[in-house]
Amino acid sequence: MALIEVTDLKKTYKIGSVEVPALRGVSFSVDEGEFVAIMGPSGSGKSTMMNLIGCLDRPTSGKYILDGTDVSRLSDNARAAIRNRKIGFVFQSFNLLPRFSALKNTLLPMMYSGESKNLKAAKEALKSVGLGKRFHHTPMQLSGGEQQRVAIARSLVNDPPVIFGDEPTGNLDSVTSIEIMAIFQRLNTQGKTVIIVTHESDIAMHAKRILRFRDGLLEADEIVKEQLIAVPKPRES
Amino acid sequence: MGILDAIQTGLSELLSHKMRSMLTMLGVIFGVAAVIAMVSIGEGAKQEALDQIKQMGIDVIHVKRASITGELADKAEERSPYGLKYSDATSIEDVCAFAKRIVPTREVFADVKVGEKPVSVKIVGTTPDYLAVSRSNLESGRFLLKTDMNEHLRVCVLGAAAKRELFGFDNPLGKMVKANNQLFRVVGLMEPKEIGSAKAFSALRDLNSDIYIPINVAISDFKIASQQAVPADLAKLQMIAVKLLSKTSLENSALSEIIVQVESDTATGPSASVIRSILNRQHHSIRDYEIIIPAELLKQSQQTQRIFNIVMAAIASISLLVGGIGIMNIMLATVTQRTREIGVRRCIGATRWDIVRQFMLEAMVITCVGGLIGVAMGVGGARAISVYAGWRTVVSMQAVFMSFGVSAMVGIVFGMYPAIRAAMVDPIEALRYA
Repeated sequence: MALIEVTDLKKTYKIGSVEVPALRGVSFSVDEGEFVAIMGPSGSGKSTMMNLIGCLDRPTSGKYILDGTDVSRLSDNARAAIRNRKIGFVFQSFNLLPRFSALKNTLLPMMYSGESKNLKAAKEALKSVGLGKRFHHTPMQLSGGEQQRVAIARSLVNDPPVIFGDEPTGNLDSVTSIEIMAIFQRLNTQGKTVIIVTHESDIAMHAKRILRFRDGLLEADEIVKEQLIAVPKPRES
Repeated sequence: MGILDAIQTGLSELLSHKMRSMLTMLGVIFGVAAVIAMVSIGEGAKQEALDQIKQMGIDVIHVKRASITGELADKAEERSPYGLKYSDATSIEDVCAFAKRIVPTREVFADVKVGEKPVSVKIVGTTPDYLAVSRSNLESGRFLLKTDMNEHLRVCVLGAAAKRELFGFDNPLGKMVKANNQLFRVVGLMEPKEIGSAKAFSALRDLNSDIYIPINVAISDFKIASQQAVPADLAKLQMIAVKLLSKTSLENSALSEIIVQVESDTATGPSASVIRSILNRQHHSIRDYEIIIPAELLKQSQQTQRIFNIVMAAIASISLLVGGIGIMNIMLATVTQRTREIGVRRCIGATRWDIVRQFMLEAMVITCVGGLIGVAMGVGGARAISVYAGWRTVVSMQAVFMSFGVSAMVGIVFGMYPAIRAAMVDPIEALRYA
């Protein structure tokens, strides 16, 4: 069964009295264990798509089934719970809380899942992205790559079935970008479903499948024939 | 998110902007401190008044000689020439059914000495019942007895301060005190009587430097102490001289005060009106006396206290309102400043309610910390006032808890709007917010 199933999804924004269609009927599905890149020029509707499948917004019409649940008509609170349990977010600008340590940032999703804080799980997540020695550093004391790795740890800590990356390498240099993509590829081989939005085709080539958007429609759905494998260069320290 | 996490977040937020937090809290701090200091002063004054009134006793009525001046004085001279006099006491006794004890007193002028050194003490002529009515206790010896009066004995009982003045640390019992060249044998000694530092009521005087003698002795041996204005024209002066020199009967002897003790404190009101009407008739409507009812003073002081409390509550609410507005202002700024944080929290699963609660708790942390500092400052301020100004202050726990509770409430009320604003932030917009 497909993890994500999108059927004829439409989204129209109202700006004053003018209706602006952002998505004009998109259908696709993503199975568990896939690695998908969403591409498209600005205005193509890829950001709108990301907001919809990230449960941050509701479609004007159409159906969206995530992990067996129709989430397209859920209330604000119910969508907050879905975001907490089923989705891990990684952003272009990291979006860590500046006054919290790496560990506390990683713990944050657990604070909202109504369970007691599982310090061990947070430490495990940070170790898995190679930050075993940076628990008590604040974002200011970390490099961009390290901050993004904290963000990935945060997205993993509630063990969601899918990770969304919204331009996850957009603020990083090429060497660090490769490191981040390597982490995504590793997570994918471990069974996580990964979906990233990007406009850089060499980043997209690290995925297994590319969805191209144009003018609010799905233009192409192609399998990557020669997937790039990210091999991070060894660094000192 | 757990409440503890939210409070911790609030505290770390507070500590990361120390200056701003301090300025924000100032309104609440001053408000709470002012309330506590003022309540403490009010409470202290109230306690003081209560103590003094209780010392007078709430089941008594004091009828005091009052000096009158001006035109009225002339009229008084003609129609009620002796002021408050012994016959007033007997007629009160005849008419007032509730009266349990009626005690006349006469403060007199006298030179009092032991050996050669004159001392400033007051001689008061009274009856044996005075001991019970004045709520004093004997330390040693005995008080005046009926037989002292019947046999016209020159005996005296010393107040604690009077004893110290006259005899120092010696035992005065059986010794002699010389007053206007008459010798009085000391038969008793009073216990020291506590008296408040600030005299709230003129009706209360320091009884410790009194020397008590039988009232008939006081009438026959001494002139009454009074503050009568010296009349300008000679004729009147002559009249007074004649009056002072002539031997007056017991009935017409002037008194300083008549203390009436009634059956129960509820009887003071009706008794006072009976006494007022008798005296009014006997004194031909000249008010050369005043009636003081401690029970009524008590009621008045409670009423004053109530008004004081209302005024203070109003002032306190204004300062807390201003403080609250300051907090709302800062919280609104904080919400704007932390839009991105709100977006992130919403994105990783915070509900609107989680956000509302977080910002409300942060506002409450500010006001509660402010409230705590305010309580400390208020209590310290009350201490300082009682040390430097010598006023009695009573820090009431009720005021402390109330003002702390109110400052928490201010946090809830004024934190509500910014918190709702924060919760209404659209996570998509918030994440795009630079």
